[in-house]
Amino acid sequence: MSAPQLDDLDRQLIEALARDARVSNRKIALDLGVTEGTVRGRIKRLQQDGLISFTAITSFGLADSARMAFIGVEVNVSDVRAVAERIAELPAVNAVMITMGRFNILAICLFNSLDNLLEVASNQILAMPGVHHVETSIAVKTVKYNARVVRITAADRARIEALDDDA
Amino acid sequence: MSNDFQIDDADRAIVEQLRLNGRATNQQIANTLGLTAATVSARIRRMEDANKLRVVAVSDFSAHGYNVLMEVAIEVDGRPATDVVDELVQFPEVFAAHLVTGRYDIDILVALHDFDELPDLFLNKFGKIPGIRSMVPAIAVDVIKYKFDVAPIDAREEA
Repeated sequence: MSAPQLDDLDRQLIEALARDARVSNRKIALDLGVTEGTVRGRIKRLQQDGLISFTAITSFGLADSARMAFIGVEVNVSDVRAVAERIAELPAVNAVMITMGRFNILAICLFNSLDNLLEVASNQILAMPGVHHVETSIAVKTVKYNARVVRITAADRARIEALDDDA
Repeated sequence: MSNDFQIDDADRAIVEQLRLNGRATNQQIANTLGLTAATVSARIRRMEDANKLRVVAVSDFSAHGYNVLMEVAIEVDGRPATDVVDELVQFPEVFAAHLVTGRYDIDILVALHDFDELPDLFLNKFGKIPGIRSMVPAIAVDVIKYKFDVAPIDAREEA
């Protein structure tokens, strides 16, 4: 993966939009001393390159699912991608990484009851072909969390492009 | 966390629209949902002021030059895990830190520009924190899904 070349203006834009994505192009342009057209063009390019995405983040308190769990999955290495893709389809699962380490897949899930977690980890994931073992660990307290820096996946980019087509 | 804050179906619908496109104007959202732009604006502000909602740009790890991502499980020994985690979160390489149940005590997400940074992080930074018995990594080889639109807004946030 090659690091994209971002200049200072890109970085300032990302910083401003990470604080509040609803600020107008006009206001950003004024703050940064560039034209509105430049702001619009830069934002479009950053989105197209999969470097930024706009979303709404809600607090745990507002959501129905208030707890986070880490589910480590042991699966045959030859099945790892297929299983990871199936796990990613589960709505309760927020993140899926293929990993090298003490398990082959790490799934991060949000749940609202232990029954809910049992269903995802021990019923749905464990029953998938190729899965040998799941190990669940519940986050009791979150001390640090940076929701602004993420992995923008191919699926996210497809969704952004679809939005552009609608516009 | 207080649960006094109530939201209704209109709030939920607005949040849903913002998740699809955080840059949609109040007017666009209003048109889609059959509300007025003033209502949309007031409801967004109410949720933001209560720290229940943030509409933001999220950026990819690669936009910041981070090419290595790993989850690390940590076993603590002879010291409260909360004290250990308070020291771990001081490092900018640690993007997330949770106290967890199970065999390990702390779970962290680490992002590095490249593997060359690992010896310094492990030996000179983490190595100076008392009470860490072991650190077991899982290196992210590929990320299939990464969608955290529910997050602890109250937790310490850093760019």
